[in-house]
Amino acid sequence: MPINDTYSSHRLACGAHFAALQLPGRHTVSFQIRVMAGLADEPADKLGIAGIVEQTLRKGTQNKSARELADAFDTIGVQTGGGVGRQSTVYRCTCLPEYLDEALALHAEMLGQPSFPDVFCKVGVELTLQELTALEDDPQELTSKLIAPHAFGAQLGRHELGERQTVSSITRDDLLAYWQQHYHRQKLQITVAGDVDVKQFASLADQHFAQLGVDGERSVADFDVAFNPGVRHREKDQEQEHIVICWPGVAPSDPAYTTEKLLLTILGGGMSSRLFTEVREKQGLVYWVGAWSEHPRGAGMMFVGASTTPARCDQTARTLLREVDRLAEDIAEDELQRAKVSVLAKMQTHGEITRGRLNELSGDLFHLGHPIEVEEKQRRINAVTVEDIRQYLAAHPRDRLCVQTLGPRALEEFQA
Amino acid sequence: MSNAAFFQHTLDNGLRIVVEEMPHSQSVAAGFLVRTGARDEVEDLAGVSHFVEHMCFKGTPKRDWQAITREFDEMGSTYNAYTSKERTVYFGWVRHEDLERQVDLIADMMRSAMPTEEFDMEKNVILEEIAMSDDSLEREVFDQLHQQLFAGHPLAWPILGTTDSIKRLTRDQLHGYFQERYHPANMVLVVAGGVKGSDVMRVAEKLCGDWPAFAPRPERQKPKIDFNGTHTKKLERFSRQALGLIFDAPGAAHDQRETADVMATLLGGPNSLFYWNIIQAGVAPYVAAGRLDYCDMGMMLAFGFCEPDNAQKMHDAMRAEIDNLYRDGIKDEDVLRVCNKARTSLAGEAESPYHRLMQMFGDIDVLGQPRTVEQRLSALEAVTPDTVREYLDQWPLNKNMAVISVGPTEFAPA
Repeated sequence: MPINDTYSSHRLACGAHFAALQLPGRHTVSFQIRVMAGLADEPADKLGIAGIVEQTLRKGTQNKSARELADAFDTIGVQTGGGVGRQSTVYRCTCLPEYLDEALALHAEMLGQPSFPDVFCKVGVELTLQELTALEDDPQELTSKLIAPHAFGAQLGRHELGERQTVSSITRDDLLAYWQQHYHRQKLQITVAGDVDVKQFASLADQHFAQLGVDGERSVADFDVAFNPGVRHREKDQEQEHIVICWPGVAPSDPAYTTEKLLLTILGGGMSSRLFTEVREKQGLVYWVGAWSEHPRGAGMMFVGASTTPARCDQTARTLLREVDRLAEDIAEDELQRAKVSVLAKMQTHGEITRGRLNELSGDLFHLGHPIEVEEKQRRINAVTVEDIRQYLAAHPRDRLCVQTLGPRALEEFQA
Repeated sequence: MSNAAFFQHTLDNGLRIVVEEMPHSQSVAAGFLVRTGARDEVEDLAGVSHFVEHMCFKGTPKRDWQAITREFDEMGSTYNAYTSKERTVYFGWVRHEDLERQVDLIADMMRSAMPTEEFDMEKNVILEEIAMSDDSLEREVFDQLHQQLFAGHPLAWPILGTTDSIKRLTRDQLHGYFQERYHPANMVLVVAGGVKGSDVMRVAEKLCGDWPAFAPRPERQKPKIDFNGTHTKKLERFSRQALGLIFDAPGAAHDQRETADVMATLLGGPNSLFYWNIIQAGVAPYVAAGRLDYCDMGMMLAFGFCEPDNAQKMHDAMRAEIDNLYRDGIKDEDVLRVCNKARTSLAGEAESPYHRLMQMFGDIDVLGQPRTVEQRLSALEAVTPDTVREYLDQWPLNKNMAVISVGPTEFAPA
């Protein structure tokens, strides 16, 4: 890793959390503005509203029409994006260094002075309803939606498209009220990475966001995961059965987090991982199989998943769990070593992409409240031992499971 | 056309090597471009190119399948392979000190043993991949388009093959195809990242210099396409209706390709006519325009996915926006916006050996030469409102077109 990287983080005078990673010599700069309100903060009768707000904010400000705003972004060539998470909403931007100030000013205008044109509020609702139809054609995403309320609880486990009935009822007044309540400068996290003058960027961000949400809600709500084990199925006419299984893991702030990350690599990272080797290469049960984790703030959930034709779904589900259990039986030193090198090497290769470095930084600020330097992450990875993995598995057994299937038939005799 | 920005050399056996040195980079991406794909198959062997791609991970005279995947993961490589209609590509992205090890591994895979004992198990994996793709409406539309428009031509059959063709395929047929196509004159070793061209050369000579040369791949036949008619396929298991309008367009190596792409972005990209007048009118959540191209022909597609009841409305709206494009043309500032966005994305590409490698595979395959990010930007900047107008006259979007409709209804536009 280049040693010239410089991290900094502090609270701006306006109240926003700020973190920066200076990467000298890069040709792009990326920044994120994270509003600490997401799906869990939606009113129960307005599910889907956080996503519609995110979309509709882009449809004009007090000074610019929807098209003028889009043209202003395109004129300086910035790449913008965004998305709603369980507890936050993120606005992303990558640009050439010479357009950074202008890109930040445009984001501040968009977040701070939206006009919520009535026509685009109605279209936002209409398109979300159509997206709900589209979701039915996406088995993987649909399975994620089905398992989430049981994995995370009714509040944290919401889906960004909401429910047909709640979305239909959303009006311009609702969008405006949600924005006023949650888009508050005290609830912002602003992160930047690239060849950036950090002091100047922080000072500009401070000025731009000083007026945001003066009357809104300052405090960030906390939500607990409510895990509800069980085996659930939704029948659907499709070629394959989709299977997702999850159980509680640890939060990124937990000392065992790095151990868990290496464990996931052993289980599902790369073609030599245990799941790929056993489920796909040895038994030929699937094309897709994987292991991953998801982290609401202060919590963690481990997932394994696969899709297969219905006649093979019982064997696939059994094999998935057998491989999870086998972790506690025979983890070897060379396997752990391979996982470590794999994670460390990817930090270096993927770290060449400025946007990727920013995602890391933004994740650290969200989960931990401050950045973690690459060198520290490397040290933690290198320090994990086989004994740490054994202890982790003993402390976090997969004794309660959420199992969700989607497809032509349910699993037979499957004990969660 | 040659390109001094790249290090290039051809070994005596015909293997070409192309390197982009990225001195600021700590990593390197490397891989083999094999110039064979689904359109180079005979119908009985539909899917064989893709099957070969899978089997290259299954064992060589030096390594069994576990040794192959383990070694990729021991380097922490970001690796994969893909098969398209016209090429097969294998690649890995590693720390720059692992260059030789990475090239050694992938080069060894290019000498695959196609192990018989792995063949049947991998067949199951591919049949699952076909089943998975059958659950994708996007894939159904892509396959349907090719089946209908290219009927009788090798571009018609699906890249994965069909359940029948894969079940019938034998290991010997697979091995025969592999030997015929995976030889130096039909392959290119491509590398981008923090390495020296001369080092790559040395490694290539050592690892691939003794590969025997064979005859070139059979010539491709240019397809004849009828850009007329409506082709529908009813698939009740999907919730949305997919609709595509298909027009004649420049092929992958045509010098009007950038003009075509700028026009398509303004018609159906983000912040386009389709975006504001169809999506943001609430007609459909996804409508776009773009070029689908092959070495000797191309197609311009205007396509969308909508609620079945909105299909006619979406069709009419796409046609109306094409008429608007003819009526109003485009302005200098429209082109400038597209170029400025490209400038940012190209600056991002220049940071990443992986993204450079992917682009170089495509450019080398279809243009015969790689292009730098600066060269790609210059080509875009040469587009003007006048060249777009000429394009629209030469490759009309308001005359002949074929229509593809797939979804729960047998919708055909009135």
